[in-house]
This record gives sequence, C-alpha cells and structure tokens, in this order.
Amino acid sequence: MSLQNFLSALDSLQSEAIATLDAASDAEAFEAARVKYVGQKKGALKDIQKQMGSVAADDRKSAGMRLNEVKQAIEKAVAEAQSRISGGGESGADPTFDPTLPGVRPAIGHVHPITQTITHLTEIMGRMGFEAAEGPEVEDPHHNFVALNIPEDHPARDPLDNFYLATAATGAEKQNVEGTRLLRSQTSTVQIRVMANRKPPIRVISLGRVYRPDDPDATHFPMFHQMEGLLVDTHVTMANLKTVLRVFATNYLGGDVEIRFRPSFFPFTEPSVEVDFLWDGNWIEFGGAGMVDPNVFRAVGYDPEEVSGFAFGLGVERLCMRRHGIKDIRDLYSGDMRFLSQF
Amino acid sequence: MLVSWKWLSRYVALPADREQLETRLSLSGLNHEGTETPAENPALSSDDVCIDLEVTSNRGDCLGHLGVAREIAVLYDTELRVPSPTLETSKTDVRSLLSVENEFTEACPRYTARVIQGVKVGPSPDWMQAALASVGIGVVNNVVDATNYVLMECGQPLHAFDYANIADKKIVVRPARAKESITAIDHRQYELDPSMCVIADAQAASAVAGVMGGADSEVTESTTDVVIESAIFTPLSVRRTARKLKLHSPSSFRFERRVDPIGVEWASRRVCQLIVESAGGTVAEGIIDTAPEIETRPPIVLRLSQLERILGITIDSSEVERILTALGCQSDAKISTGSGAFSAPSWRHDLTREADLIEEVARIHGYDKIPEDSPIPVAPSSKRTFDSATEKIRGVLTAAGLSEAMTPSVVTSKLDKALSPWTERPALSTQTAMLKGAKRLRRTLLPSLIEARANNWASASIEADLFEIAHLYLPGKSDEDLPEELYAVALVCGGDFFSAKGVIESLCERLGARQALSVQPVDSPGFIAGQLVRLSLGESSLGYLGVVAPKTLKQWKLPGPVIVAELSIPALLADAELVPQQQIVSMFPSVERDLNFVMSESVRWNELENVVRSAVGQQLKSVTYRETYRDPEKDGKDRKRVLLSVQLQSDETTLSGDDADALVQSVIGACKKKLDAELLG
Repeated sequence: MSLQNFLSALDSLQSEAIATLDAASDAEAFEAARVKYVGQKKGALKDIQKQMGSVAADDRKSAGMRLNEVKQAIEKAVAEAQSRISGGGESGADPTFDPTLPGVRPAIGHVHPITQTITHLTEIMGRMGFEAAEGPEVEDPHHNFVALNIPEDHPARDPLDNFYLATAATGAEKQNVEGTRLLRSQTSTVQIRVMANRKPPIRVISLGRVYRPDDPDATHFPMFHQMEGLLVDTHVTMANLKTVLRVFATNYLGGDVEIRFRPSFFPFTEPSVEVDFLWDGNWIEFGGAGMVDPNVFRAVGYDPEEVSGFAFGLGVERLCMRRHGIKDIRDLYSGDMRFLSQF
Repeated sequence: MLVSWKWLSRYVALPADREQLETRLSLSGLNHEGTETPAENPALSSDDVCIDLEVTSNRGDCLGHLGVAREIAVLYDTELRVPSPTLETSKTDVRSLLSVENEFTEACPRYTARVIQGVKVGPSPDWMQAALASVGIGVVNNVVDATNYVLMECGQPLHAFDYANIADKKIVVRPARAKESITAIDHRQYELDPSMCVIADAQAASAVAGVMGGADSEVTESTTDVVIESAIFTPLSVRRTARKLKLHSPSSFRFERRVDPIGVEWASRRVCQLIVESAGGTVAEGIIDTAPEIETRPPIVLRLSQLERILGITIDSSEVERILTALGCQSDAKISTGSGAFSAPSWRHDLTREADLIEEVARIHGYDKIPEDSPIPVAPSSKRTFDSATEKIRGVLTAAGLSEAMTPSVVTSKLDKALSPWTERPALSTQTAMLKGAKRLRRTLLPSLIEARANNWASASIEADLFEIAHLYLPGKSDEDLPEELYAVALVCGGDFFSAKGVIESLCERLGARQALSVQPVDSPGFIAGQLVRLSLGESSLGYLGVVAPKTLKQWKLPGPVIVAELSIPALLADAELVPQQQIVSMFPSVERDLNFVMSESVRWNELENVVRSAVGQQLKSVTYRETYRDPEKDGKDRKRVLLSVQLQSDETTLSGDDADALVQSVIGACKKKLDAELLG
C-alpha cells in the first residue's frame, strides 16, 4: 500500500469515526460505535494499524506519526461521547446535585449580648492592666453607703430607691425601712472590698448585676449591669483618668473618639464628672467618673496624702444596646429565643 | 431648676450669646436640659426665655436665680448684684405680738418670724406676676406671690400665716401628735405621725414643717396682719415626711438640699420689703429668731501642690484666688508659699475640705484644660480562672445547642416555691417588689429557665434550650447574715435525660475534671420518680439533673420532655484542670472486643463498668457502653443483655491474640463472679 493510500484511509476513518461518535445519542449507539472503531479485537483502528506493515519501510515513520494522531483524536471523541451519554454534562457531575441548596447547620447556641459586651469591656480594660474583681450582690449598708461616703441623711439611702431586704424584725411585708442588708445599687461596693483587702497599687474593674427600683420601660429595668474601674497608686491624676477613658472609648467605638467631662456629684469621688463621648456628631452620656474621695480612702485605711486614685462607672446595657442597635432593654432579660438567637 | 433670662439679668450682665452660656453652664456643673422660647411657652413674656438647668443634690445654692447668676458672674468674670433689702419698721416690737417655742430642734434647728401689720391683700405687681409665670409658678396674691418670688430668687422657702388665725398668738414647732391631721393648702387632708415636724399654734398644726402650709392659716383677701416664717428644717426630716405623705413641694425640695443659714434672715427681710412695696402695711420691729448664732466655718487650707497632684495640671495662684473669691470664699491673705486659706460661704454646705476646693477650681477653670495624653504606666493583668472557666462553659453549652439567657434575680413566690434543691431555708425577700410582685431572691435558677422556656413556647412555639450563669442566694444561718452567693450554671432543654447528661459529661471533661462524675437518685416533687439525681465529682456535690414531671409541665403549659440541670461553678472549678496536660499515646496497636452479657435488671451500668475496669487494670484503654436488649422469653424476667466494647492496649508491647484473650477471660470471670453476669456466645 502506498503511503498516499494509507494516509487517505486514515483521514476517512477519522472523519467517519468522529461523525458517528458525535451522532451517537444513546448508550447503545455509542457502544456500537465504540466497538466498531476502537474495539480491542475487531476495531477499525486495529485493522488499519495492521496495514502499517504493507507501507514502504521509508514511509513508515510518517505513517506511524499520522496513525498516532488519528488514534488520539478518535479516543478523545470516544471519551467525550461517553461522558455526554453517561450524564453530567462536560464535567461528569450528577445533575441532581444542587450545590445552591442551603447547608445543614449545626445547632449552635448563642452567647448573651450582655456577656459579649462584658467580655469585650474586660478585654479592653485588661489591655490597660485592669483585672476583673467581683463581690456579693447582697450587701450591708457599710459597703454600699458608709464606706462610699454616703451619709445617713443622704437621699441615695432612701428605701424607695433601694431594694432593702425584709427581716423578721421588720416583717416580710413592711416597707419603707432602711434595713441592714440590700441588693447593691452600684458595683462600687466591690472597690471597697478590694481596697480593704489589698494595698496599692490597685487596678481593677468590677462587673456585675446591680439593682434599683425603676419601673421597667424601654430604657429602664430594675436590674442592670455596671462596669466600674478603679486605679489607686501614688501619683494618679485626673489627666490619667481622661486618658484612660479616651483610650477606652477609642477602643470600644473604633476611630479617634472625642470625650469631655461635665461636673457632677457622687459622694465617693471629688471632683466628680459625667463623661460624654462624641458619637455620630452627638455628645452621648456614658457614665460617671472622678477622683476617689479622701473619705473613701480613709474608710479603707489608706492615707489620702500618700495615694490618689480615680474611679469610673459605665452602664453595660447602654453600651451593649448602642453597639447592637437594641431598642428595648427588657428584651435582654426576656429569655426570648427570637431575640437571643440574633447574637 | 427653671430660670428666666429676664429674671437672671437683674443680678448679672448676661452675655449676648445665649447658647454659649448654656454650654458653659453645662460644662461647669449646671447641666442644660432645654430652653423654651415665648413661641413654645405662652406664659413667657415676648422678651424672655426659660432655661431648664439640672442642679445636682449638693448644690442647693443654685435652686434660686441668685445662685445661678453667681455661677454666671464667676464664669464670665463679671459683677454679681445682690439686692440689699432694708426695712422701715414700726415701734411695735414683734415679741409683743407673737411668741415662738421650738420643741423639736432636731427637725428645726432655726426658726425665725416677722410680723407685718395692716397689709392690703390684692394682686401682685405685673413684673412679679410675669416673673413667676416665666418659671411656671401660679399667681395667688401679693403676699403669697412675694414669698414665692423670694423662694425662686434665693432658694429659701418662706411661709406667710394669717396672724388673726394663730391661736394665743403663739407658734409652736413640735412633733405631730399621733393621729393628728391637717388640711393643707392643696385642700387635701393628711394624717400625720410623731416623726413629722409641724408648725402649730396653741391649739392645732397649721403647717407641715418645710413641706406645705395649712389651709386654716393661709393668707386670704380678708387678711390684714401676716406672720412671715423663714426657717431651717433638716433634710432628713423633710425628706421622710414628704415621702410618707407623698407630698413634694418646691419648699421640701430645697430643704432636702439644705438652705443658706445666713440667707434665712436675708430672705425674711427681702420678702417683707416686697410685701410692703405692693401690699402696704408696716413691719414690726425686730425678728424672732430661735437660733441667731451662726457658726463660723473654719478656713480650709488649699495647697497648689494638691491641685496639681489631683488634676495633673498647674493653675496660676491668681486664677485660683479669683475663682474661689468670686464663688464667695473669704481669705485673709493671698496665696503664698504654695498655699492659701479660704472660708467657704454660708450657702455652700458642700465646701468643707481641700478636695472640695480643688473641684471648685477645676470645674470653673474648665475640665477641657485637662489633657488626654497622660498614659498610666504599663502593668500586667491576668484573666481570672473563673473567667477562663465560664468561657469554656459557654463554649461547651453553645456547641451543644443551648443559648445563654439572663433572667431576673428576684422572683415571685410561685417561682420560688416551685423548687429548691440547694437549701431548705426560706428565701430572702426584698421589701419592695422588683417586677410584678417578685420579691424572693432566687435559691435556684431552674424555675426562671423553665418559665423562659414556657414563654418561648407560648409566644412562638419555640422549644428553647437555654442556660444561665448567675448567683443563687442561699440564706445564712441567722436572719442578719449575708446570704451565701453561689455562682451556678443552670440549663433547660428537650431531648432526654442522657442527652442532657452527656452535655454535663462533656462539660466536666472540657473543664478537666479529675474525678469521675457520679449520680445519686434523690426524691423531689416536680420530677419524674427516679429521674432526678444529685451529681457529684468524686466525693463532692456538684449539682442536680432531672426530668421534669409531666404534671409540672402541664402547669407551665409546656410539651415534654423537659430536662433541667444546675451545677455549682465553684464545685466544677475545685476539681478542674483548666490547662490540659498531654497524656502519652501508646505506639502499639490496640485490640477491640465486643462482649455481650446477660444479667439481672438490678445491675447498674456503673457497677458493670467498675468490675470490667478492675478486672483488667492498666491495659484497659476504654470501656464503651453499646446497648441494652431485653428478651424475657429467652433470658427470663428481670434480665437484660448489655453489649459493651473493651479496648485493650499495652504501653510496652504489641498485645498478642493470646494476651487479649487472657484479659477478656478475666473480665468474663469477674463479671460472672461479682455480678452473676453471663457472657452470651
């Protein structure tokens, strides 16, 4: 066989095979075409390969090269036809598999937004060296008032502004009596306990539940959380206080936050100030602060000539609600999953 | 405190920029709450505005226009014009007209009285009516209006009595008598008690001291002679009386914040002057004053070094002197060698110490001058073990699908009675209810969580799986003890006893509990019999786990099953190894064998597990419970089959099949001997 004839036979085999394979529309037609062209025993490719022997020796190299090309082209057509017919389009994937269906989610619970806020606050203050401290929620008047420089005739001690506990002596139902135990109205009580048990330098934050008889509405609840910070050392100034609060605000709110002090009155600090942060163009009240009153130092056995210190208190709910866009404080204590599952 | 712009301008030159003034007042201690213009408030005259300032409880001196004007004068460094009232008096001595007896000096340390004879009661002058209207005070007549005007001018409450209605021309300051009552000028009757102070004549109470006058002695059209009371009533007495009677007045508000002892006489003189100007009459000679001596206040030493030590800035001594002097402090000499002595004015009760003067200088000088670039030195701080532990607890419980709730610490007696696994002592109780009758300090978190689950079910058909970490309040031995506050973690969930137990087992494992968790059934109403257990870690009690009884669920309108558990966090922590330590893993292959025993129903898994463990010892890596199967026909009544797997492994060598068989044989032998458990083929 001349090279010419061999090559033209190869060409016609290739075009015929590819056309047949492309035309195969079901598994049966495909299988017939596959056996006809690339079958191991009687396939057309095998047949034509055998004719290689009759080609002149000098031409065999070119004939072999062409044979390989044709072989590859036909095998490719077989593979394509197979994948087309066995389903799954080009990639061979299962058409019933819809990856856009929603995932199956593990049932993971949610951490309360107040806890998340407290963790965040603790972390920010921790970076400034403040350690967390805790104390009891049921207090005596000494820790809640006396040591905090709140004298007996001070309105803050009024039974209508505090949850005094009933005792056998006062009778469970009797009201309006200043008792010997009460639910703490502020976390400053913890500062007293910390200072009474330790020597300066002191750098703590106290976080926890506090209680005041407010009628519940969107912004009031008789139980809420406070974060109080206390720093006592030999040289602590109001400039330190302002710096710490600005760093805190910058950390919590992000960006460089402006803060300002407005004079205020708290029995346990002197001077006392309200702290405002400039947020979205408005001054927002964030809590109270001041330099620890000398009487508080004396109450815990410190010499106010030797040490100075600052204290500040922030409402955790207010920070939490602002951060998460919560509109009603009562939602926080509802235990309602429709609320909790959003955090 | 409402102040009128026009009224203020009588005492101080006001700046042109009102808004700047409002801001400066806010930043120096009188927080600006709002301002009303005549367009918003028709009671204002067209050239006036009314400014609302918040006055803190230590600044009673700013509860009058003069006090606010003084602050403005100090801020703007301008002159304050205080009126100096002078009286032309008659020849009649006031003591011949009236006597005062003070029988209750604890409530009334000082009482003064003047008498004006021959007044003609009528309308007060227009300027006074306009001034009172501008700050929302109703107009009555020229005598009463004058007392209110002076009240709003200097903050000293005053009262005018009709002299004709004072029996025996005698005023007695005394405790109210038991069951005594009075009709006040609001024409309502109030019942008094002996803790309250009244102003009485020889017969009956004619005013509740410092709170409100009585109707019987009020000044009317027919009044010709009036008695002017200007007094000091103690804050505590006035506050308690006002609270008890639920009767709060501008007077009680000011007495609660203390009045100026020198201002008492000034105000008396001032009101007499104004009454005579508009109602005529003559003022009797002299004043009745039960305590004319005014204590002089010792000077306060202020060291400039202390200013710097507390504020972190230095302030010129001349500025310090200017501020304190303008505020009314007296000093004999200029500040020298770094300190000066200042006597606080009588109207500033709050200035008694150096610290108080430092605050005065700071607030007027301006807190904006305190820098924000004064960092504190670096100090290490570490996270508390407790916080690391609660973080792990929250991690495990949220991974188990429970969400954290926070519920009120004070509960209703219904909730309190529902359950109390920790203590038999009755719950502590608040005097005032916190929410909807809730007065009991909770002794367990469980009823609160069951209630939350019930609310979720009722409102949205959600089966809420919740947990809470909070204090329990376990009452102490005696009534006066502070309670033990136990930090607990409690949970409520569906599923079954074992899914909840598994959560607790995972929790103990994740917290590194060194001792095994064990259970002991306990009886308690509210739970399915036998399905409430006390949990222990080793010997120490950890808490409770139980399946709530269907009857209880019915009360909550909750579908079952509901499982609850409550653990003491200190007990969890006592046994915790929060920092995990690596255990060396054996490099040799392990052999696993399944064993199927048949045994009496009464054999508990923990007994079986203990027997298996002690039969093998160290080479037993694990015993795993697989399942229980019951077939009374094959095995007989009260018998069960328990399938378990043992994993055997040596740390030193590869266990041969023979080694493993020997170990398994000892397990089989021990089970037979100790539990009468037979191996099934």
